[in-house]
Amino acid sequence: MTPTPPDTQLVLLLFRLISGALLMGILAVLFIALWRDFRSAVEKTSVQRRIYGKLVEVVENDDGYEETAVSHPLLPLTSIGRAPTNTIALDDDFASGEHALLALREGQWWLEDRKSRNGTTINGLPIGDSVIVTDGDVIGVGNRRFRIHLE
Amino acid sequence: MRAGSLEADSFEKRRWHQNRLEPLLLALSFVFLALNAAALSIAQPERDSSVWLVVAVWLVCAVAGSTLLRRTLTHCDPFIFPVTMFLSGWGLIIIERVAPNFAARQTIWLALAVILMIATAGFPRLIVLLRQYRYTLLFGGLALLVATIRFGSNPSGISGAPALWLSLGDFYFQPSEPLKIMLVVFLASYLAEQYAVVRVEHAAFGKTPTPRVVGPVLLMWGLSVIVLVWQRDLGTAAIFFLVFLTLVYVASGQLRLLIGGSILALAAGAAAYILFGVVRLRVDAWLNPWLEADGRAYQIVQSLIAVASGGVFGQGIGQGSPTYIPVIHSDFIFAALAEEWGLVGIVTALFCFALICMRGLRNTVELRPFPALLGVGLSALLAIQGFLIIGGVLKVVPLTGVTVPFMSYGGSSLITNFVLIGLMLRLSAGEQALAFPA
Repeated sequence: MTPTPPDTQLVLLLFRLISGALLMGILAVLFIALWRDFRSAVEKTSVQRRIYGKLVEVVENDDGYEETAVSHPLLPLTSIGRAPTNTIALDDDFASGEHALLALREGQWWLEDRKSRNGTTINGLPIGDSVIVTDGDVIGVGNRRFRIHLE
Repeated sequence: MRAGSLEADSFEKRRWHQNRLEPLLLALSFVFLALNAAALSIAQPERDSSVWLVVAVWLVCAVAGSTLLRRTLTHCDPFIFPVTMFLSGWGLIIIERVAPNFAARQTIWLALAVILMIATAGFPRLIVLLRQYRYTLLFGGLALLVATIRFGSNPSGISGAPALWLSLGDFYFQPSEPLKIMLVVFLASYLAEQYAVVRVEHAAFGKTPTPRVVGPVLLMWGLSVIVLVWQRDLGTAAIFFLVFLTLVYVASGQLRLLIGGSILALAAGAAAYILFGVVRLRVDAWLNPWLEADGRAYQIVQSLIAVASGGVFGQGIGQGSPTYIPVIHSDFIFAALAEEWGLVGIVTALFCFALICMRGLRNTVELRPFPALLGVGLSALLAIQGFLIIGGVLKVVPLTGVTVPFMSYGGSSLITNFVLIGLMLRLSAGEQALAFPA
């Protein structure tokens, strides 16, 4: 190979530097984009995991309902039933495996009956497929009653 | 933030990524390739201008691929495609630099590979069909393997060289490449069905692995051994078995299968070392290449010298001398990269490979067992193949003649890896795109 003249060498050195800088630039872009992606994933899970209130177990007596010490956290998707996979797993013979679902949709809390054998109630009345619930409502699953406390 | 809009919101972010990130990465890659093409023609003025043709074809592939992909899959992963194109463009430039007479063929392969990738990514109900026809795929793959053992040849025409190709006239084809994907598809669907049962049994009764679990482990081990014994293809055998072990471990969560499998693999490796000269040569050259630097370890020694002379910033394209290394354009392409782009180049390339595998894994998190295991298998395939050959070139593991995904010369390898990327993109598009029957 013939020796390259000095000005060509300078151009080649410049190209090498830019080429190296570009590689680092590509790395930087990938890092930043990945970081943003992870941030949004973290945000998503933390919103899903946020506790929106609690479900306090209540017992029926003569003047209505009396609250017990047992309470469960309320998540944007809270499933209730006898199966251990539910958010709130009940040991209750009258509850179905996957009995009911509380879900936050478009700013409203919805109570859904998941085709349970004995049905789900709201303030003592049976619900059809689904119903909007608010603070203070009492949900009935099997023999258990829960009052919703929103935060 | 309201919970109901979460899904829409994450898709919104993804679309932002896809609209901005992909063009940005492709543009940066293009500038990088063009700059290096210019540097190459300045450094070696005696060259013809074919390097510009390579860059032009790459640009057409990138733009057309990106446009078509956005039409066929709206919510696919924004990282995988541009990073793949960057690596394959870089590979093309290196091939053009070290072995110009192979570059024209490789650009044609790239165009074909991108078309097939789009076809795979845009195929409706593909995942369902793959699952339905898994036994057809498996037996088709095995038939190809048997055909290679029986009728195989080597394009170099040297007698005694490993016969891993099937020839159709001037056209050579390496069946072990598509076979890798076929096996991953088969195993993912088999394990997705079997291991659900096995896991429940294990949780309920604490049973030890049943024949249902150990059976496929032994089957795959046997298959890998056959590849090793009849074809002397250490790389493919290692990839088959390691990918399979990863899948079994991910599906079952049982460490003892991983340990048992590794013992089997080591036993096979030790036996191969004693029985086969090829394997012994590779391991000896790995343990101490300097004993035979001029002889049997010539390739690896030259490769190490190339990597060392690259330094941090590299010699610059066209200014190193990687052509001392035999078959530099195929297995040893990473040594050329190390010499002319240096540590910066190595880190970027490794990060790109890791990124593709990581995205492939991350996208499987919310999928059902079969697509999730398929995604894991495909990522493992890329990761293990990349590790084996890059590690081999850098003398981290014994050399196993496999290709560097996306970069090495070779049509079968390039097309297979792009089809793999097409599958990954399809899996990344979420549950709806998989078109499961309800």
